[in-house]
Amino acid sequence: NMTSSKLSDHVRNDNNTSTSLVDISADVGPSGQNSYQSESLQHPPNTIRGKTWYDVSRDLINDFRHKQMDESTSAYSSIIFYANHLVLLSLFFMISIYKNVNYLYRKMVLKFYTLTYYPNKSPQLIRDDVSKLAKIPRVISCILDLKDDDDENGGIDGLIGSISELAAWTVSAGIPHLVIYEYNGVVVENKGNLAQLNRYISKNLAAYFGTDLIPSYAIRIPHHNTVIYSSHTGKTQVNSAERDVDLEIWLLSREDGKPTIVELTKTMSELAQNNELSVNDITIDLIDEELAELVGPEPDLLISFGPSLDLQDYPPWHIRLSEIYWEPENKDVIYAVFIRALQQFSNCKVNVGK
Amino acid sequence: MSDWLSTFPGYRQALTTAKRAFGRFIQTGPTPKHVGIIMDGNRRYAKNHKIEIKEGHNLGFDSMANVLEILYESGVKCASVYAFSIENFRRSSLEVKWLMDLAKSKFQQINQHSDLCAEYGIRIKIIGNKKLIPPDVAKILQQTEEITKDNKRALLNICFPYTSRDEMTNSIKCAVDQSTIDHDFVIDEDTLESLFYTHDAPPLDLLVRTSGTFRLSDFLLWQCVSPDCSIVFVDKLWPAFTPFDMAKILFNWGFNMYWYGKGNGYSTTQISTKNFNLAEYDSNVDLNDATGSSGFQRFASSESEEAEDEDDVVTEESSQSGGVDELDTVTSEEESDSNKKGR
Repeated sequence: NMTSSKLSDHVRNDNNTSTSLVDISADVGPSGQNSYQSESLQHPPNTIRGKTWYDVSRDLINDFRHKQMDESTSAYSSIIFYANHLVLLSLFFMISIYKNVNYLYRKMVLKFYTLTYYPNKSPQLIRDDVSKLAKIPRVISCILDLKDDDDENGGIDGLIGSISELAAWTVSAGIPHLVIYEYNGVVVENKGNLAQLNRYISKNLAAYFGTDLIPSYAIRIPHHNTVIYSSHTGKTQVNSAERDVDLEIWLLSREDGKPTIVELTKTMSELAQNNELSVNDITIDLIDEELAELVGPEPDLLISFGPSLDLQDYPPWHIRLSEIYWEPENKDVIYAVFIRALQQFSNCKVNVGK
Repeated sequence: MSDWLSTFPGYRQALTTAKRAFGRFIQTGPTPKHVGIIMDGNRRYAKNHKIEIKEGHNLGFDSMANVLEILYESGVKCASVYAFSIENFRRSSLEVKWLMDLAKSKFQQINQHSDLCAEYGIRIKIIGNKKLIPPDVAKILQQTEEITKDNKRALLNICFPYTSRDEMTNSIKCAVDQSTIDHDFVIDEDTLESLFYTHDAPPLDLLVRTSGTFRLSDFLLWQCVSPDCSIVFVDKLWPAFTPFDMAKILFNWGFNMYWYGKGNGYSTTQISTKNFNLAEYDSNVDLNDATGSSGFQRFASSESEEAEDEDDVVTEESSQSGGVDELDTVTSEEESDSNKKGR
């Protein structure tokens, strides 16, 4: 389709990326240089909760005392207000007790799951788990959080470790596409991080599959229109420079969501101003095609590895029909959450509108 | 049990009073401004209870009216309900006809009782691709919009027929159209948002989906991916979803907002699109307009101040950039330090 290829090219031009796919496998291969520096990044503060009962009740009492109001309100309504607020705060206090108990229970359950679902670097165990499922997704997407350096699995290293683990589990489960969404896009910031990522994924896959049978993979960064092939990819396809791989990893960040839609709109408006595109040509299908090219495939299953569901500005166009899964009170990327998400997916029924 | 209870005289009155009391009570804390509801599960409910699907949809409408009542009493400024998806046109033509007839009869009722709407102060807007509605239904819906357009208290967005992709596409088309007329037209996220069907609604705070399905099904996608929107999936089917369930959800949302600064609950990220504006922070709380958003920020800041002086409350927050979670962790670190000193 002539229009669509021109459109994506235009959007990429405006983003100052190349219109043809750039293969940087050589630069960031496992044997590449290690001399890249990564900029210092503002990391989120420590995730350890430090409040005790005493603090909580003292805060509530302080808040109640400090709530001021307008001088002009009547005594009756202010009494009612205070009474209501007092009831509200005491209910909040009771709920906080319940939530704490719930939190401890969920943490215990998670620990139990971590022990029972432990693949121990073995793809066969994962294969067995997955073969019990009625259906598996074709495209899995994971929302990962960049944690503070002091946390367990924190900082960029922790993130790269998580991505490598996810890659290994995905390929063991026989799922061809893995999309990783991280709000800040730290991994794609510079070639140093990408090189590190490539190394770790290779290492982890070798640990799972053995160095002889390591599966081939491609890391795609749609926003920069670059691709990294693992050093063990097979022969190239006949008609294109792209190669067949066992696993495609897509790295997305906030820029691939709403800002990309805005860029697409700007490009279309420029084309319309030059009379190359008419407003009536803009249909849902056209935008779908363009965004699939600019951002990647629509995920069938979206897993969030945070304690509560927060979509963090994920590309809105793509999650129209995605099954969403998250494990409450869970902060880490663990296999238990991954397999439970797959189990939920296999049990769900999708009828689009009917 | 509730069927038997509902035969008591004055049951309706008692319910309404209870909702109003709950509303006043919960408004002393944080409440969401814009709530979206995906009303899913009518047909499954009808099948489970061995009644006609048409009846299921009727019960669904009643459930919607009840839930909307408690939402508006709780100070929600705008409610968006997913009445009909563009994909639903693919259902059997008989069912589509039922749904259209249901819409026609209900909206005709609303038109006839326009004084009730004025009393509640609800403005009804029909959101979606209106060209797809059959003309007789369209006429009645148009009348409803006309009759209620001056009501100011709250807004009801009825998404009929609607898909989020259609809304985004329409917005893009309008933006492109505008830019051909005016070459200096700036296109950014805010522009696209102002061209949505839901442009005069506040940002989405809470999205509720019933029937235990963990999908968004093309509803308000752009608005609900925001880090400030919390999504709740409920296991009950829509006709079985009572105002009490909604009250629990609102209460939980308020609690999370109060405790963690985020409607979702505890989160390991500090992302928030809200920029804490010091100038808007007024130490006088207006009784009639208590959103309680000052509540959490107040106690967190007064905590870190360790001063009982109310005037100094504002100064601590100026050094933090947005996101109440940062304040929370600052205080917890200080707490652990002072605890250590104490021991």
